[in-house]
Amino acid sequence: MTGTEPLGGDQGDSVDIKAEMRSAAEAIGKAPKPNTARMTSDLSIDEELVLHSIGWEPVELVSGVSMHSVPVGVWNWGQGEISYASAAYGRSFANATERIHDQCTKAGGHGVVGVHVEWTVERHHIDVALTGTAVRPVGAKSLGSDPIFVSDLSGRDFTLLHSAGWAPLGLAAGASFVYAPRRSMGDTMKQSGQNVELTNFTEAMYAARESAMERMQTSAINLGGSGVVEVKVTEGPMTFAHHAVGFTAYGTVVRLVADKHRNLGARMVLPMDDPTSTFDASSLRGA
Amino acid sequence: MAVPSEAPGDLPEAAVRRFAEGAFTSGLTVPDFAACLQMGLEPVGFTQGYCVMQWQWYGSSPMGMGGGFGSQWGGIRGYSETWNCPHGFVSGEHRSWGQNYEQAWVEDAWTTGFSTAYDRMVEEAASGGAHGIVGVVDSVQPLSDMGVLEFRVQGTAVRVTDGVPPADGRPWTTYLAGQRLTKLVEAGYAPVSIAAAVSSVRVWANCVTHYLTEGSNSMFASATAGSEITQTVTAQTVARKIATHRVRSQLGHDSLHGAALSTVQRELGEGDAEVECVLRGNRVRRFKEFDPMPAPRPTVRML
Amino acid sequence: MSDIQPVPPEEPPQDLPEGASRRLAELEHGLFTSDLSVNEFLLIKEVGFHPVGFVMGSSIYHTGIQTRKWGQSQELTKLTEAMYNARELAMTRMEEEALELGADGVVGVRLDVNYYEWGKDAAEFIAVGTAVKAESGVSHRNKLGKPFTSDLSGQDFWTLMQTGHIPQGLVMGTCVYHIAHRGLGATLGSAGQNVELPNFTQALYEARELAMTRMQDEANELGASGIVGVRLEEKSHQWGSHTIEFLSLGTAVVKTSDEVTLPRPTTIISLDN
Repeated sequence: MTGTEPLGGDQGDSVDIKAEMRSAAEAIGKAPKPNTARMTSDLSIDEELVLHSIGWEPVELVSGVSMHSVPVGVWNWGQGEISYASAAYGRSFANATERIHDQCTKAGGHGVVGVHVEWTVERHHIDVALTGTAVRPVGAKSLGSDPIFVSDLSGRDFTLLHSAGWAPLGLAAGASFVYAPRRSMGDTMKQSGQNVELTNFTEAMYAARESAMERMQTSAINLGGSGVVEVKVTEGPMTFAHHAVGFTAYGTVVRLVADKHRNLGARMVLPMDDPTSTFDASSLRGA
Repeated sequence: MAVPSEAPGDLPEAAVRRFAEGAFTSGLTVPDFAACLQMGLEPVGFTQGYCVMQWQWYGSSPMGMGGGFGSQWGGIRGYSETWNCPHGFVSGEHRSWGQNYEQAWVEDAWTTGFSTAYDRMVEEAASGGAHGIVGVVDSVQPLSDMGVLEFRVQGTAVRVTDGVPPADGRPWTTYLAGQRLTKLVEAGYAPVSIAAAVSSVRVWANCVTHYLTEGSNSMFASATAGSEITQTVTAQTVARKIATHRVRSQLGHDSLHGAALSTVQRELGEGDAEVECVLRGNRVRRFKEFDPMPAPRPTVRML
Repeated sequence: MSDIQPVPPEEPPQDLPEGASRRLAELEHGLFTSDLSVNEFLLIKEVGFHPVGFVMGSSIYHTGIQTRKWGQSQELTKLTEAMYNARELAMTRMEEEALELGADGVVGVRLDVNYYEWGKDAAEFIAVGTAVKAESGVSHRNKLGKPFTSDLSGQDFWTLMQTGHIPQGLVMGTCVYHIAHRGLGATLGSAGQNVELPNFTQALYEARELAMTRMQDEANELGASGIVGVRLEEKSHQWGSHTIEFLSLGTAVVKTSDEVTLPRPTTIISLDN
């Protein structure tokens, strides 16, 4: 930066925002134009603007819900996988996805973006709820040839992928619930007497994690995707049954739709504003 | 600002005095405040409205409220669906009949509480000469265990520099503030008002729903073990539809932007549940043709 | 669809669970999985790499000790070894998975520790990341012929490559140190005064030095020219406050032979908070 060049490059026409606000306030007093499409959306204004920059618009807020039961006794300490729970998670996710997909079709959307995925495991049922905004190319009246997608990509991420030549296909999810190995750790450790690996425990947890991932991959393959991005992995014991551990993974399935990947030409920027620094005593320790 | 000679509407007098004192108070953060001034909006004061409603509804049954709640409120109206037990008569404890129904009395009471609080906020702002209210925040909270709910709506009252007062004397309102509001207007949307609606659906579980939700060992349950709990799922789906429909009916020809859908499910035991869904958003109107911006440039920050 | 041909594994993985092999086989047929964000995915593509698959490794290790009030501050070498071995096992398994996929490296590596209620004196050490492969087909493995590992985000990986460097491996050094309990006399003697506690100071210095030196030794083994993104973490795990593990982590890098010009960054003033 030599200091003689203008900052930022071309900014486009500058907007007289005060005049815009006055016009907006006046318009509120007048009746709206008839036949304007009424859209409902939970996208932020940034996301909407970014979508519009590739020629897409929000249409309607849509959702899908599913709850599957887990019979009593399933969580009692047993061995190996708790297949009832894994299956219930998989079915709930699949049904919820199908329902939000249907709502999108009815609303005339070509896909759903920004899906909030909420799932809970209760003692007797596993619930999945999906909420998002159906979107479509601006003014599109009929459905395109591409299948309708459901994804938890934000409007921004959808736009980036789209510009790079990729399209989302749907959500893929997988879960695996297992019991901690039966033999108590105390016995195992007393026997070994030293700091060593506890192999059967390792095997059980590692295998469960892999299993959850594999199920997610299978559903991705079934959708015909080339990859899954933004995979979110969670793991932990059940609050109501500490000896049962659940592993879940879900993400958006994508496919390259252009002939080849298009690089976006990212540039490095050096912001001139000072980052706010916070001081607290714990930062005195450590490097 | 002129001091009104009497409290407008049904505002407590203290609210009127605060406006007349001159220096404004504002609930906006510094960046939001700066963005307001940039847009030509002068903050005029912090404005709020409250309403406390008696609230005995949660968990009640239509039969239990002193001989016919349903009759007092005009019967069950709106959504209602029966779920018959597929087993035939089994025993006194076996729930041979179930029903999902919309608790219209809950919805009406919520709507009354919310719109009263909202109207009071708007009145207070209007009495101070405001043109609009930005950065609205609303909350619904139980007050201790007295069986009451407090509805609060508050925001920052603003005036449009060189602008005209609203035609019907009621300021426009929006949940947005600061940069987000600036971008909304730049994109060609005018904020008309906030929109909010609630839906309340009660699940009166039948036997299958009861067993599935509680994971019962009953032999009637084993046939459907691991199945979907369709009665409750339907209640959830319908609750969202009702809330969306009720908000849409407030929109006129306008659109809903930046919506937030929140759903709460209260489990009442034996498979019974109550699903409450609140949808909030900004009612917006297009006032100029949309001027799409060119695709933004991707950058990587060095800090 | 990427034009990467599936690569047969060089040797069968040693101790991965059966499920892992099945899952990895699916990935070798062309599907990729990653927990990279969309930003990271696109930036990695820009520097000529493609994600191949999500890889992970874990190990449940016995980490208990007999707590005693040792009079001296000292390293608890057996525990240091245990902490090191546990993480090494997790990392090695993750690297094996990456090897199985024919990957050149793993980015976005995260090392986590899980404690389970049913395993009081044990902890699970997990390493996860996204395996990547160069689209040019040229091997970018490290000096030991293994896929490089790094805890760099996609953004940092992109930036590093712009500077003409490439990661070699995630390097770590660990030290479990016990800080002596002060005798009652000493505690009473300094009560009410603001004094330095030489015990603690010395202990902390030594422990950190040990951890960092070990990390640097690992980097030397890889023939690295430097270590980026170094951080020091301190955890008491389940041992009480007088026993602390000092873990030093960083990514060892080397300059590549490619001539790369660093593009001049644009200065901006951002208007959002």
